[in-house]
Amino acid sequence: MKGQLKKKILRYKEIYLLLIPVLIYFLVFSYYPLVLGIIKSFQKVKLLGGFEMVGFHNYKEIFGDRQYRQAFINSLAVGGGTFLLQFVWGLLIAVLLNEIRNKASKSLFQTVTYIPYLLSWSVVGGLWISILSPSGMVNGIMRALLGTGYSPMVFMSEGRYARLIMIFTGAWKGAGYFAALFLAAMVGIDSALYESARMDGATRIKQIRYITLPVIVPTMKVIAVLTVMGILRNFDQIFVMMNASISDKVKNLLVLIYEQGIIQFNVGTATAAATVVLAATLLITSVVRKILKYDEIYS
Amino acid sequence: MKNILDKNGLTGFWRVLFLFLTAAIFLTMFLPMWNVFVVSTSTALDSSQSGIKLWWTTFSVEGFFYVFRVAKMARPFLNSFFITTIGTVIQVLLSALAGYVLIQKSLPFKNFISSFIMLTMMVPGDLTLISVYQLNKQLSLLNTYQGLVLNGLVSGFSIMMMRNYFETVPYSLAESARMDGAGELKIFGSIYIPISLPGFATVFFMEYVARWNSIMLPATLITDEKKYTLPLMLKQMIMSVDSTSGTAATPDNAIMAAIVISTIPLLIIYMFAQRFLMEGINMGAVKG
Repeated sequence: MKGQLKKKILRYKEIYLLLIPVLIYFLVFSYYPLVLGIIKSFQKVKLLGGFEMVGFHNYKEIFGDRQYRQAFINSLAVGGGTFLLQFVWGLLIAVLLNEIRNKASKSLFQTVTYIPYLLSWSVVGGLWISILSPSGMVNGIMRALLGTGYSPMVFMSEGRYARLIMIFTGAWKGAGYFAALFLAAMVGIDSALYESARMDGATRIKQIRYITLPVIVPTMKVIAVLTVMGILRNFDQIFVMMNASISDKVKNLLVLIYEQGIIQFNVGTATAAATVVLAATLLITSVVRKILKYDEIYS
Repeated sequence: MKNILDKNGLTGFWRVLFLFLTAAIFLTMFLPMWNVFVVSTSTALDSSQSGIKLWWTTFSVEGFFYVFRVAKMARPFLNSFFITTIGTVIQVLLSALAGYVLIQKSLPFKNFISSFIMLTMMVPGDLTLISVYQLNKQLSLLNTYQGLVLNGLVSGFSIMMMRNYFETVPYSLAESARMDGAGELKIFGSIYIPISLPGFATVFFMEYVARWNSIMLPATLITDEKKYTLPLMLKQMIMSVDSTSGTAATPDNAIMAAIVISTIPLLIIYMFAQRFLMEGINMGAVKG
């Protein structure tokens, strides 16, 4: 038995060699940082240099820290809002695309809605900051609607609009991507289904309601799970679009961890917070998977 | 426009509603992008005026000259270009090799290797950001091009994509080549690569876009402005705008020109790779 295994391993020795670079990469760049992060989260920098183990001290500190609590609330508010809007928006785009019969219009509509997803947050953030500036397009439209008495709003420094702006721009960027996922499920629908429904006298809107939408329910679940996995991980958008006057309302966990750990070198508390986010992400994901019975569909 | 819904069977109120929604969504997505393009090709003076700015008062490309002459955009552009291209090419090759390993039937420890790779997908790199920073410090990779290429060089995601493509290649082809005494690299190069070219293209384009747009990693590793990538430079440019007063250190048309320039490579990729990018989506493959 043992000899057989050895023989098999020898037979595949070239194959194992192919794997070596990848294994080394993952050990160094994935597993080592993970372990290092967990260790650091239990340590504190000593004044005279070096580290000491402090148990759960860092964890207690972040749970008692107002900044971290606010960042957690902001993450959930912006993340949850973006998900809802992007979901509805993406679904709408997909349903509309599915009804457009003219090929050129369809391809134009899909391209225009998908492009924002390809762009980096530096680009999308810069675009919206400019559009929402006092001399930007939104204020221009408001002035055209409300007359010359209208005085321009400084949208990017209004705390009350900050989260709405993040939610809207987030959904604006991602809706086309959700739409593409939905559409991929819709094109698989057998056209005979629609045909027989039509024979039975179902109107097109009834066909959409009772054929198209039920078919994409599994895709909706996939999207929900994916979004939940990413909900605490939105860094780029806030990093680019945040400014001092709205940071209270939008600064999220990852941006705060970045500021604390990389800029201010509070390594202990920052890694503790990162570990909590990691654990929370794994936990929330597995709960949502259970609720949606996700694994029964995709095993 | 009024004929785009023809023959789909929507009538009356629903037809009007669908047309209205299509137009509303199209304009919401399109007008902001169009606005950027118009401002980028306007004069600095026009771009600073308030208004809706959907058409030119005076067409001008001075913004594009400004970003290269004054804002020195060429260097970050080239940094991004080389780092993205080199990193993506190596990534596709390494992922393909690992994907090839995972399709071997009856390979000892295959399940262990799969789990070892899959587990890295559960722990996204952005959640170990601080220790990634410290790792790079220990390896003296901070503020280096090597650091930008090496971090994120392999992803479980692209390995799984490659494996899925390789699984569509009949295994008997490889077996018979092996009988004839061909080595693994030869089998991989002469049988698997040619058949799986669409797979290579899909992974290449998806990773290229992700790398080109990456902000968090360069923001963590790079403080030296000479090594800034395009997103970092753009961010700095945008932040120099005082968003409360709207007065900018860099004129608006130049910022918009910088945005247009950093978008062009992606639009070119999209034109070539639309098919592959959509295919990646259809395979349920998703990048966070």
